[in-house]
Amino acid sequence: MEKLNILVLEDDKLAQKIMAAQLTGHKLDMAGDLKSALGYLGRDKYDIGFFDLMLGADDDYSGLKAIKAAAEKGIYAVVVSSSDSEDIIDRAYELGARDFYAKGNEESNIADIIRKFVQNRKLDAGTDVFESAFVTEDPELRAAVTEALRYAPTDLPVMILGPSGTGKTSLARIIHDRSGRPGAFVAINCSAYTEDLLEAELFGYKKGAFTGAGEARRGRLLEAHKGTLFLDEIGTMSPNMQMKLLKAIEEKTFHPLGSERPETSDFRIISATLEDPKDLVARGRMRFDLFQRVQGYTLKLKPLSERAGDLFPLIRHFTRGGRRLSFTAEARAMLEEYKWPGNAREVKKFVDLVCCGPEGRIDGVIAGRHLKPRGFSAAGAPEAPVPAAAPRPAGGENDELYALALRDGLQAALDKLAEEMILRNLAENGGKRTKTLAGLKISTRMLYSVLKKNDDGGDDDR
Amino acid sequence: MTDEGSSKLLHDLRSKCASLRSAAELYKDCSPAEKKEMLALMKQAAAGITASLEKLESGA
Repeated sequence: MEKLNILVLEDDKLAQKIMAAQLTGHKLDMAGDLKSALGYLGRDKYDIGFFDLMLGADDDYSGLKAIKAAAEKGIYAVVVSSSDSEDIIDRAYELGARDFYAKGNEESNIADIIRKFVQNRKLDAGTDVFESAFVTEDPELRAAVTEALRYAPTDLPVMILGPSGTGKTSLARIIHDRSGRPGAFVAINCSAYTEDLLEAELFGYKKGAFTGAGEARRGRLLEAHKGTLFLDEIGTMSPNMQMKLLKAIEEKTFHPLGSERPETSDFRIISATLEDPKDLVARGRMRFDLFQRVQGYTLKLKPLSERAGDLFPLIRHFTRGGRRLSFTAEARAMLEEYKWPGNAREVKKFVDLVCCGPEGRIDGVIAGRHLKPRGFSAAGAPEAPVPAAAPRPAGGENDELYALALRDGLQAALDKLAEEMILRNLAENGGKRTKTLAGLKISTRMLYSVLKKNDDGGDDDR
Repeated sequence: MTDEGSSKLLHDLRSKCASLRSAAELYKDCSPAEKKEMLALMKQAAAGITASLEKLESGA
């Protein structure tokens, strides 16, 4: 825990004792009256000040003067008072108070204030988040993410909207990392499971709850206790499952499959969807009450095609610590012209491919070789889709797959080839899985294994 | 008693009640010495509440 310098202005001895107990571990100065508080403020430097307003039974809210003095020194001033007068609350904020809490719930309020202060100070300290964890140079997106991160140290649900591959999982993880919540970040892609499997994954099950349940298993809800549950593609959940999840969110308790005993879990919800949630509600695909529960703070991530300046920073990010690449002017122009419908995830795939190739200097021929199968033509217009079963050209990617086979074994290369074909076919079919299942004549299991690997991959999707 | 006077008195009452509630929550985790000190402060707060209520009743 970060040790902070804290000043408390409180005239009541019992309240002083309570504040001191809640602030154990920090450097604390306790002022019993205004004069003493102003003296402390003149002498020392504080991170946070907690101020009572009415100092004595007949006092005229003289604590307000200390707030003004603290705010002028840049101290994070928080009022802890029994006053519920709107006039006094307005005056406190006008004088520079950053927060105003009612007395009587110090155990949870003080911990929340400290957590929020520390997280926001980290956020104000730099922009490192945009250089490593969430790479973007787009001012609008930076502002939106910065604003979202201000809600990280709260329990408010967050909903992240945006196309596939824009970094929804990464952002959810960053919000969790900055939340100060001690539990784990637990992510689940709701679209990768059938209703029964999703219920078992979320709620867990008891041994023998269903055929194949040889051992009991904790569900994701329980794994997310004191942490964050990230529900990706929440809009794909069945209405029945939505109702069960809503109950678990509201009551913080649930029954694992086959169990009579309820489990309790204190988790924060972050959800994501590719589609407009209001549209999902309008079409009856999302329960309105669940939408109300999970929307909280909502932000939308722009596709890469709307933030072209992010392409090369992303490429640099994906090659950091590994093979560095150089691009000729022609290759750069081709990459900039391409729309990258798979967003950052597609850039990552592209970087992985060229990094496995023989050349570190990427020219137009090499760039074209990797972009053409994605539907890129020199004029920038997508070419007619190549049937998935069409023979692959000699050389190029075949060489890379061959190199991969030599390095990691033939199966690894075949798996990679299968994965690429499935993702490509899905993209060509506008994400319609049934078409891909029929078109490539593959099993549901194989399709979902590829989807899970690509959609639920945490940091991989940046 | 003026409106302002009763408003201040109510503020004081709310404040003392809130402190008592927080103290009750904290009490179980205190050491024996702290419990003794805490009890004395809680008694003082209770006496303060009684005095404020009497003041309110008398309208002084």
